Parts: sequence; C-alpha cells; structure tokens
Amino acid sequence: MATYAEPTAGAAIGVKARRAPWAKRIAWRILGAIFVLWAAATFVFFVQQLLPGNQATLILNQQTGNQQTYTPEQLAPTEAKYGLDQPVLSQYRDYIKGLAHGDLGNSYTQFKPVTTIIAEQVGPTLVLTITALILAWIIALATIIFTSRRRKAVSSLGSGWEIFSAGLPYYWLGVILLVVFAIELRIFPVQGGTSLEGLVLPALTLAIPLGGFIGQVTRDEFEKVLDQPFVTSARARGMGDLAVRLKHVLRHSVLPAITLSGWALGALISGAVIVENVFARPGIGNMIVGAAEHRDVPLVSGVVMLVAFIYVISNILVDIAYAIVDPRLRG
Amino acid sequence: MSATPHTVGAPGGAPAPASAPRRVGVPDWVRGVRPGVALAGLVVAFFVVAMIVPSLLTNQDPYAVNLEQTLQSPSWAHIMGTDQSGRDLYARIIYGARESLLIGLGATALGMGVAILLGTLAGLGNKWVDGIISRGVEVMFAFPILLLALLFVAVFGPSVTTEIVAVGLGTAPGYARMVRGQVLSVRDSGYVEAARALGHPYGQIVRRHIFPNAMRPLVVVMTLGVGQSIVWASGIAFLGLGVPPPSPEWGALLNAGRNYVTQAWWLEVMPGVAIVLFSLSLTTLGRHLQQRLEGGVNR
Amino acid sequence: MSKKAKKLPVLVQLFLLASALVALVVGLSACGGSSATGAAGGSTDGSSDVPGATATAVNVVGTEGATKPTGTPRSGGTIQYAHEMETPCLTGGWIQEAYIERQYADNLVSMAKGGKIVPWLATRWTTSKDHLTWTFTLKPGVKFTNGEALDAQAVVDNFYAWLDPETLNPTVSTYIGEYFKSAKAINPTTFQLVLSKPYAPLLPVISQGYFGILSPSTYKGGAEAVCNEPIGSGPFIVEKWTHGQNITFVRNDNYNSAPANALHQGPAYADKLIWSYVNDPTTRYGSLTTGQSNVIYDVPGPDWATAQQQYEVQQYITPGRPDTLDLNTINGPFKDKLVREAFAYGADRRAATESAFEGKTPYNGNGALSQTTPNFNRNLEDTWPYNPEKAEQLLDQAGWKKNSDGVREKDGEPLDILLIYGANSIITNEGATVLQDLQAQWKEVGFNVELKPLAFAELFAAEYTKPTSYDATIGYWTSPTAGVMLITWRPWDGKEPNAYNSPFYNDPHLIDLIEKGNASFTEAEKDKYYGEAQEIVTKQEVAVVGVYTQETTLAVEPNLKGVWLEASQGEPVFSDAYFEGQS
Repeated sequence: MATYAEPTAGAAIGVKARRAPWAKRIAWRILGAIFVLWAAATFVFFVQQLLPGNQATLILNQQTGNQQTYTPEQLAPTEAKYGLDQPVLSQYRDYIKGLAHGDLGNSYTQFKPVTTIIAEQVGPTLVLTITALILAWIIALATIIFTSRRRKAVSSLGSGWEIFSAGLPYYWLGVILLVVFAIELRIFPVQGGTSLEGLVLPALTLAIPLGGFIGQVTRDEFEKVLDQPFVTSARARGMGDLAVRLKHVLRHSVLPAITLSGWALGALISGAVIVENVFARPGIGNMIVGAAEHRDVPLVSGVVMLVAFIYVISNILVDIAYAIVDPRLRG
Repeated sequence: MSATPHTVGAPGGAPAPASAPRRVGVPDWVRGVRPGVALAGLVVAFFVVAMIVPSLLTNQDPYAVNLEQTLQSPSWAHIMGTDQSGRDLYARIIYGARESLLIGLGATALGMGVAILLGTLAGLGNKWVDGIISRGVEVMFAFPILLLALLFVAVFGPSVTTEIVAVGLGTAPGYARMVRGQVLSVRDSGYVEAARALGHPYGQIVRRHIFPNAMRPLVVVMTLGVGQSIVWASGIAFLGLGVPPPSPEWGALLNAGRNYVTQAWWLEVMPGVAIVLFSLSLTTLGRHLQQRLEGGVNR
Repeated sequence: MSKKAKKLPVLVQLFLLASALVALVVGLSACGGSSATGAAGGSTDGSSDVPGATATAVNVVGTEGATKPTGTPRSGGTIQYAHEMETPCLTGGWIQEAYIERQYADNLVSMAKGGKIVPWLATRWTTSKDHLTWTFTLKPGVKFTNGEALDAQAVVDNFYAWLDPETLNPTVSTYIGEYFKSAKAINPTTFQLVLSKPYAPLLPVISQGYFGILSPSTYKGGAEAVCNEPIGSGPFIVEKWTHGQNITFVRNDNYNSAPANALHQGPAYADKLIWSYVNDPTTRYGSLTTGQSNVIYDVPGPDWATAQQQYEVQQYITPGRPDTLDLNTINGPFKDKLVREAFAYGADRRAATESAFEGKTPYNGNGALSQTTPNFNRNLEDTWPYNPEKAEQLLDQAGWKKNSDGVREKDGEPLDILLIYGANSIITNEGATVLQDLQAQWKEVGFNVELKPLAFAELFAAEYTKPTSYDATIGYWTSPTAGVMLITWRPWDGKEPNAYNSPFYNDPHLIDLIEKGNASFTEAEKDKYYGEAQEIVTKQEVAVVGVYTQETTLAVEPNLKGVWLEASQGEPVFSDAYFEGQS
C-alpha cells in the first residue's frame, strides 16, 4: 500500500515503505481501484433509489412540459422502456453488468447513451482542471521560490497571500473576476465557450485558491529544507541562492504537495461545477447540476463514475510521480 | 476549496517570537499572542456573538422588507447598503452568521466524528481492518463534496441538515486519513511501547495515551475545518441548493446578490468578505493554536 | 542561519488585500459604463419612476414593425442569440420549444399585431355555417427542407400525430383535444378540419409555434426524431444541437413560405443563427454588452433601464393566464373565502412587482387573464387593492385572532400558509423577490407564509399536485386567447386531475360560461361570457389573485435590424433580421 497524503512526521514513521516487488504492488493497486469504482457505483445507484417521486412520471412530464400525474396504464410503456418496472436488485445487476462492459446506460432526458453525452462534455472540464492545476503549481512555486526566507516584509507578504488566497471561495472569486475582467474591462470574453481566452478566467478562479493551498503546504517543507546542512554546504560551495532553491530545495519539498495534487484533481471537479456555472462554460460540472436537477439517474451515475475513475487514476499517477521524485520510495 | 488542511503536524509556518521578559500577572497564553492573531481572535469572537446574540450587533431586522429603500448603496443608515427587498445587508449578514456557523460547526463535528471513528479503528486494527477501512475511505474520497451535496439535496430536499450531512461526509475522509496517521504514529511511539512493556492493559493504553495524543493536533484541524465547511456550504447555496428564502445564510446571500452585481456590487461583495474574513481568522487562530500546542518551533 | 524575524501581522496585510479588492470592484463598477446611471434602484424615492420603462404594453400584441428595416438589407452574417433555459427537445409543449419551432417550421396561419389572423401556409380559409368544418387552401409549391412536399396530406398527418400518444404534443392536445374530430386532404392544396363542437379560438390557437407543420417523416421516426431531429419548412434548418451550449441553425435557401405579416418574403438574410443557452442573467446581459451576443432574451430587471438607453429593447406582454397566486379552495385555511379575501388585501402586490422588476414587468391585478389577452376584463384590475386594515378586519371576522407572535390562530392552529413555486423553472429571481416582499407584508397582518421553492424535479415529478400539497402556489399559462380558461379551470374530480386547476376550484357554471365563450363568434358575446368567467374566479370566489404578467423581452444591438416578436406567444423571429453597415 503506497503512502497517501501523510505529511505528518509521525505518520512517516508509522507507515513503512514496502519492499514488495513492483508487480505485486501494481496488482494490489489495480484491485483496490476496481473496488473503489464498484463501491462508488453501488452507492450512487442506491442513493438514487431513495429519490422521492415517481421516475416515470418525471420523465414523461419533463419531455412534455406538463406537471400532471398519470395512471399506471399511462406510465407502463415508459417504465418498460427504461427498465423501471424491474425489481431493484435486477436493475442493479443490469447496471453493474453494463458498467463492466463500459455501457453507462441511456439518459432519461436526452435520447442518447450516457457515454456519448459524457464524451461530448468531458473535454472542456479536463482542459479546465488540468490547466488550473498547472497554473496553481506555477503560482505556488513562484510565490515560494521568490518569497521564502527573504526580508521579513517579502516573506510574510508571500505567506499572507497564500493564506488569503487559499481561503477564497470559488464562486465569489469567479463572480468578481467575471465582472471586473470580462464585463467591465472586457479583456476576456464573457461567454468563454471552449476558446483559449475563455479559459483564462475560469482556470484562474480555480488556480488561485489551490495555488495558495499548495503554497502553504510546500512553504513549510521548503523552509525546513532550506535549513538543512546540505543546503548550507551548497551555498558554501558558491552556488547562487536561486540555483540552490531550484536545484536542491525544491525537489525535496514538493513531496507533500505532489500527493495533494492527486487529491486536488478530484476536488477540482467540485470547483469546476461552480466555475462552469459562473462562467457559463460547457463541461461535466454544468452537466451534472442539470442531470441532478432533472433526476437523470443514468447520467448522474455516469458522471460520478467518471469522477471516481479520474480520482483513482490520478492517485496512481501521483504514486508514480512520488516514486520518481523520492528515490527512497522506489521498488 | 482548499479542503482538509494538511498543514497539521508539518512544523513550520511563522516562527515563534523571541520571548518577552516575564511580566507578573500576565498569563502565558497572552504573552505569546501577536497582534495579527489578536485581530483574528476578535473577528472570530465577533461572529460568534453574531451567532448567539445577533441583536447585540445590530438593531435592524434582517427580514424587514422596505420597498422604498431597495438597493441602496452603503450609507450611515445602512452601513452595508440594502438588498432588492430593502433589507439591511449588514443585519442579514449578522443574522446569517447563525445559520452559516451552525452548518460549519455541525459539518465539522460530523466529519470529525466519523473520521475519528474510522481513523482510530483503522489505526489500531490489524492489517485487514486497516485495509478495508482505508479502501472505504478512498471511496468516500472519490465523491467530491459538491457531487455529494447535489445527490443529497435531490434526495432529501434542501435544508440545514442536508447541508451539514453533505459537507460533513464530504470532508470526513480527509480527516479520517489524518486521524489514522496520528493514531499510527502514536501507537508505534516510544512511550506506548514502554507502557505495554510495563504490562498495562491495552484498553487503558488507548484511553490514556493513544487517544489523547493522537487527537491533540486535530483540534487545530477542526478550527481550520469550520472555516472550510462554511465555504463549502455557501457554495452549495450559491448553486441554489441551499436553505429556502428569506434565509440570510451567507451562501443564499451570494446566490441572490449575483444578479445585482453590476448594479449593487455590495450585495455580492460583502457576504463574500464576511466568509473570507471569518475563514481567514479561523485559519490564523488555528495556526497559532498549532504552534502553542507543539510548544513553539525549534529551528 | 534562520532569522527569528518578527513578522508583520498577517491579518493586517490581509485586511489591506481585502480592502484593495473591494476598492477595485467599487472603482470599476463606478467607472464601468453599463452600470453607471443607477437610475433604477439607487434612488431613495422608490424604484418605479424609471423613464420609459413603465408598462405601456397593454394591448400591444406582437412587436412587428418595431424595427422596420431601413435601407436595403444585406445578406450574410451570423446572428448570435443568447437565450435562457434549455429545453429537453426541439419540439413539444414548452413555450420555449415553441420559440425554437418558430425558426424551423411554418404554421397554417399567423397572428398579427392586434390579434388579426393573416395567411401563412394557408392562403384562404372558410368555415361552415355551424362552425364545425374549417377548410384551408394551402400555398402550392412549398417543400420541407428534406424535399418532401408540404401538401394537405402532410398537414393531416400533423394533426393526427399531435394527438397520437406516441408523438403527443401535450399543449396541442390540451387545446384542441376535446374539439378535434377529423382531418382530411380534399386535394393537395385543400385541407379540411372537422370539429366536434364550435371553437372560436381555433385560428389564434393554431398560430402558435406548437402547431408548426413538420414533415411526415419526422413523425415516422417516433418521439425521438420529433425531439431531436424535427424537419420543417421554415426559414432556418437545425444543423447541430450541442446540449448545454447552443443550437446552430443555417439558412434555408429555398424558403418561400413566410407569413403575410413578415417584413419580407423569401429566404432569411443571415447565413446562420446560433441559439445559445446562458441561464445566468448577469452573464447573459454581459454577453450583450461585450458584443459577444447580438441579441439576448429576458433582459434582467436590474439592467432594464440602462438597456433601454443603449440597445433596442422589445417587450411583449404575454397574453393568457398571468403569473397569479392560486389559493387552495378545498383544503386548508383558504377554504374560507374571507381568508382568501384577507390574503388578497393583505399585501401590496403592485408595489412589490414594480420594486422587484424595477419597472420592467407590469402588475396584473386580474387573476384570470393577462392584460394583453383579447376580452380581458379591465374592471377587475383593481379589485383587491392593498388594504391591511381590511385584511385584519376580515381575519378577525373569520375567527382568526393574533397571538403573541403576531401570527393568527384559530382553535389552536396557527395561520400557516405553504406557498410552493417552481424556482428558476417557472418563477424567475425577480419573481422570487416579489414573493419574499409579499411574505413580509402578509406577516404583518398575521399570515405565516412559508415559501417553498421546488426544484425542477420535485415540480415535474408531480409530487405537489394534491390538495394536501400546498395552500397556495403561483404560475402562468401562456395563450393568445381567453379560451385558455377552459384549460386552467377544467374541474378537478379526484380521478383524472387537471394539473392546471391549481386552486382546485370546480364550478360547472364557470365551465359553461367559458365553453359558451369558446363557441361565440362575436366580440360582444365573447366579452360577455369570458368577462363573467373572469369575474367569478377573480372577484367573487377569489380563487386566484393576480400579481404580474409573463413576457418576452429582447435587447438587440443597434446594427442588427429586423428582429421582431410575433404576436401569439412572443416568439422571436429572426428570418427578417440583417446586419446593417456590414463590410
């Protein structure tokens, strides 16, 4: 079991690095990943069984714009079409079977398979979250490299900025950026769509708080490492300050933040829901709000599965990155 | 965003000030307090008062509609202006503190409670128990807070309870992981080993050593967590899934203020400032508390 | 060596940062052009004195002619239109779907300004003496965009398909379901419709977008084709629908079937029409001010005043049933008519409407019909003025006494009113503000009103349609005719509930009056029957209490000419739109 985000010094002692062979570890990881996906699918399926109201009525009413109740005879064709007349457990079984084959079912509100709908919308969200993550890192690293351990004013400004920005709510920041830079100053488009200019403000909205957060975590490590003997000796050898920071210190201090990034990618999806809403941007964030609103059960399940999948994958990637950066954890 | 803060236990942050000469009569905890922290404490105290006795801080009625005074910009009569129904915004923020803080505290308490349960079991249990619980926590991690909130609101309807449960369960896995780490480190520490070598019963060891020592750093996490929970709950309300009107909950204020942002900017900016200020103050207090509990920093 | 530096108080810096941020926003919003005037809302004398924005739209049905083209229109360009809510389908019972259908389909007739019916696909029409048989002569040579001929048989197929459960259009069936008997193609250009009883509102009704003529092949494709790939004969063709984003329409170059009240005949000028979905009002208006959109739907209340100064603003007050409070007449406190009257007197609906909409949307006191509906009973506008003293008196009379909290009580039960409404789907933000304003005023006379916004799914799962579900609700039903009252007052008999009779008010006499109105072919008779029907529900029974009207508003940038709103439902028409001064 690889170490996850356990930056606590104590925990590092508690969890020993395994010396098990690569293959076995990978196999366990994949098994674990499959378990997570199955559990997520089961949870979201059964939670949605709790939704009050009759699903077939909702489907019919939504398409027609009515708000009426129907007799069982009127509902029967719809129920048959969507498999709603089956007992819950057999619906569940069909659902899991479908998942195993990559079939996420058909949407209740659009006459299309869920996989098609998601495929159409997932691109912009991935672009947004990955850009945001990269920007966040750039912001965090720049703040740290240039403001750590300098004159007290600079240093505390950097630290203060990190704390401040980390606490900014996405929606608030997003609305303000939208109004100031898009509507008033007209630097960026209001309706971003999928253009590059339209990506800037939404990505910044996500990146600034995350950057502050990553910065806080990394700064602590960074400053600790700056005090290590080997840094002093590097400086004694005549290495420039910036070079020291970049070449030696950075590598050691980014470990906790790398672990964070794995989790962050999943959490950025949450942020994407809000940001896509504020900036009217296409993507699965916006889509899932609509799907939940319309109780489009297959679509909601599909998005949840996608997010869980992204989360699992990014964790695996983080483990790999961790191992690359910290040789102590290899093999 | 910036959910469960992982800065606990990472020693660092602001270095402790040089000790001042001891003054007679000044308690220890006052001595070490920097002006910034004092300010943070004041802010938090302010909002706590707002939560408990709002009428102390404002004499306006947050629900009093006045159609002659809609969308007034800040003035002496209404220091933060009025909203689209003529209600005093400052009063609404003060009264809104009650609901928002309630959600924040409730969500953190719930999240922590679940986390302590899971984390302790995982930390103390054998390989299998740990494995199963850790996998379960991973599953919880796979549900971003907002997705969880969307699902819960769809099932249970929007209410304070739903928000508390959604945010609480959403933040629990991060805490759980932390708790587990703490428990593990304490379990394997020197004095626990010594206690076991001395033959003390396991239950007593857990109660007297492991549990208190593992939980101590988490107090700090909780203060940080309350701020974050409020931010998340407001996000839920911002999407329109929050408590029904005319509730002055901060997120609901942000949701309503959005439509007036070019005409009456204060409606959107002020509640946001309140949230940011409160969250920030809690963070500052939390970091200060963290240093105090760990006895300062040795460099 | 580390410095044990005393740091500047972090929080002081953060306060500075926060103040800087606030100052930035303040400064920019003060300097920014689109919000500078502050004519609406910022004044201390109330927000209703907004120049040019008072509701003068009474009886203005349709806005054609508002943008008479000047000079020679040039072909080309893409119209960027920012709409609001996305609908599940491109055809169907939603009014928003009718808006879309207007772009790609034609109807038999069109309604012009003032309610007059003019030719469209049908060049002439006659009725039999008993008003049961309607014969339409169709324009020859019209084709669907897939090449199929639009002949009488195609029209027949449409009428049957609309009423067929598989491809049902619920709005169509609600209007003509009980009147339709048969349809026949006498010859390729003669279409005959036979009714089971006389139906005077037929022509206005079939001029609405729901009655657009689609190609028979569309219906053969079933509900899915009707929803996603409908084919009409209209000025635009649906090229692509990107869910959550927009619909792309392209010009139908062979278009030759524009209605008689169009600004020009022949194909549209624009090459493309992009129909985008931008739900958030600030973003939508922002897309107009920044030039990303050429025309937007639903100008937000806060921007109404400034929009009128910078853009060409069109407003269509929708006829039919306005946004009206329905009071549950068979269950709960509103069973007692005195309590209903007190509720009507108890809050200032006019002031709340004017305040929340900042002068954009007019108050409509007549609870049964909107002020632009033909045969609107003007005498009912001021039936229930704001009179809190009267309200209190009536409540006392009804036996409800105020308790120590100010809420009235009777037999130990508090006067709790549950008011449900469809948030965002039916009632806009401004509407929600109106309700909150009213809630506070009702509180003062002793009603404890709880506002319960229903999410989309809650509303459309029909969970709140029973007499035990609510005490009051609010909603609208758009229609070009007073005959809509048959839809909204059809009796609720517990077995087959009429979802639109929200007050659950069953009255055979009322239905009789409305049906007589539907069978009247002179204005005098219609005024008489419809007028009395309105009086019963608004004045005598207080089953409905009027608040404000539905509407379509557009803000158009100055160099886009020829955009207009048609008269039956306020459908936006883009086939006559062109860009002026295009290089």
